[in-house]
Amino acid sequence: MPRYELALILKAMQRPEMASALKRTIEALMERGAVVRNLENLGERSLPYRISKHNQDHRRGGYFLVDFDGPPTIVSTMMDHLGRDIDVIRPTFLKHPVSKTEECSGIIPVNYEDKLYTKKK
Amino acid sequence: MAATLVVSSRGWGRLQQILAAVLWRRGYSSQQDQVSHKVDLPIEMENPYKEPPKRCVLCGINVDYKNVQLLSQFVSPYTGRIYGRHITGLCGKKQKEISKAIKRAHVIGFMPVVYKDPTFLNDPKICDIRHPE
Repeated sequence: MPRYELALILKAMQRPEMASALKRTIEALMERGAVVRNLENLGERSLPYRISKHNQDHRRGGYFLVDFDGPPTIVSTMMDHLGRDIDVIRPTFLKHPVSKTEECSGIIPVNYEDKLYTKKK
Repeated sequence: MAATLVVSSRGWGRLQQILAAVLWRRGYSSQQDQVSHKVDLPIEMENPYKEPPKRCVLCGINVDYKNVQLLSQFVSPYTGRIYGRHITGLCGKKQKEISKAIKRAHVIGFMPVVYKDPTFLNDPKICDIRHPE
């Protein structure tokens, strides 16, 4: 099962309400056959721009990151489900980023003279 | 008279041959002499004074859409536009990665689009538009 990352922005609410919203989301994920690995809280901060969702203007939100493994069919169904949830401002499913810090060989100087003239094939 | 002349020409040719053998002996050198000349040629090796390849600022650093601070360093503080390659000085790969990460962060709602987050305005300047190099 491929590994996904859910970048979730929830409405700025009190702690117990936020907790219940998160619980709902993760239970929905697990219902659809996902194995949740990790849930990170990136803090409550002001949104970079005003987002209007569900007839409401939001300026502050709670940022969460859910790391999970799930079937590929989960994405569309979950987007549907989260679109209907009033507390969720912006859900985004991403493939889990593979941290690739390979040995960067540095900038290889390009020979511009060669590029200037078209080579006869 | 003709016979004496012929004899002398033959003799002169013979004299030339003897001279050549004595004075210009290099032309008739043996095998050993040829090998000793080759020892003087330079030894084939890689340039020992080669400089290590130039690295860009992000060589070896993982670029993520989540660290908005890093991404904001490559964005204009006034308009929020992404700086080009000639200003940032990044290599092709990293410039593309940064560009993709910034656009992703815009959509997801992590990074502002038309301005630079004020908390990151006093970060160390990597790309100075006045001295692009």
